[in-house]
Amino acid sequence: MYIAGIGIIFNRGRGLASLEKALTEGWVNPNSAYRVPPEALTDKAVLKEARRADNFTKMAVLAAHDALADSGIPEEEKQKLGIILSTGFGPHVTTFSFLDDILTYGDAGVSPTLFSHSVHNAAASYIALNLKTRGPTLTMTQFADSFQQAIILAQAWLEEKRCAYVLVGSVDQCGKVMEYICSQKLKVAVDGKIKPFNFSKNPESVPAEGSAFFLVTNEAKYNKYCAISGRPFPGDKEEAELLILDSDGMCGDERPYGSAVENNVPLTAYAPVFGSLPGLSAFSTAAGALMLKNGKIYASPVQENPHGLNILTARQTLTVHKINCLRYNCYLEELVIRLRRGAR
Amino acid sequence: MAENKEEQLKAIRKKLKELLVSHLSLEDVVPEKIKDDEILFGEGLGLDSLDAVEIVVLLQRNFGLEVKDMSQGRKIFYSVDTLANYIYDNQKK
Repeated sequence: MYIAGIGIIFNRGRGLASLEKALTEGWVNPNSAYRVPPEALTDKAVLKEARRADNFTKMAVLAAHDALADSGIPEEEKQKLGIILSTGFGPHVTTFSFLDDILTYGDAGVSPTLFSHSVHNAAASYIALNLKTRGPTLTMTQFADSFQQAIILAQAWLEEKRCAYVLVGSVDQCGKVMEYICSQKLKVAVDGKIKPFNFSKNPESVPAEGSAFFLVTNEAKYNKYCAISGRPFPGDKEEAELLILDSDGMCGDERPYGSAVENNVPLTAYAPVFGSLPGLSAFSTAAGALMLKNGKIYASPVQENPHGLNILTARQTLTVHKINCLRYNCYLEELVIRLRRGAR
Repeated sequence: MAENKEEQLKAIRKKLKELLVSHLSLEDVVPEKIKDDEILFGEGLGLDSLDAVEIVVLLQRNFGLEVKDMSQGRKIFYSVDTLANYIYDNQKK
């Protein structure tokens, strides 16, 4: 399937211009967490029917809206559109607020609106409402595999001709509770810097939030960025000319990345730009797709290289056509999203 | 006595306006700009049925009042004035 449009909102702003700027500038210390700036969530025109929505939903709605707008798919084609939202944790900030209210006010004193927004599928429903689509809408949750599973489902929907287009993306939010949990359960980088090439058994992370969406289709004429080739199943290996590692410290032991990069393939990793979050692969996919479209490769934002690997150290003109985004999940299973310039 | 009542109603109206704006996420609405007699639902402030449920919760949390009869609620929820009068009358009991 082909990527026809991309929408992204992350700690450095909203849109592809912000993504390109962030990839060019490289790492900036996020302090304790990579948070989406509040001003990036204030688009009244897009969010006019999302007054009650939380930031989790707003991020998803904005990214999905932008992906569709970027694609240039004709308005009448929207009725052939499916939506798949993937998330590691869902709208946990709202869920915890709801639980706090039960403790404070009792079960009769909690907000019904808060409850209705605490369910995982609320954001996907808002996207459908916002875009006025009537196709299949689904939320996928499988922690660090969520985006890969969503990609597999999008491919299935397109092959079954259940839809002609799918908006597939990832969203996760970083609230105070999540930041606390990360500080207790993960090794948080005290200098705010994720070191993706250390391949440590106990890696460092910095919690993050954001959303990245893609308009995908099997219609080659809408291919604006690149193709996503094959399924991201574990063990399905295909050589790439550039490897983006999603080693962000979120899934624990990162030693398997070391054995995956033995053949001197050029490497990069953008976790230091996006932060540590279950759907990091969606953001890496956006970076990879942008690179294939623009013909530029962005230097790895953090270049600490204890294993002497072939890491991209400067912005270069693109000579590669095959980029793989590699993620190891918490079970150390390998997941690969293969981006290919041109045909599938 | 009447002066005292008016002062209390004024304080309730002020608190209500602030609560409505924050609790109902009324973007671009400044509490002070809501008129005391402005119709809350439909035309006027433009609230809807979901907001009505939130106002029920708001009254319970902040004033300890329950509105169980929604036909009664229609009159109570008409404006900030009617809400404030309901709160004043029932908090006194």
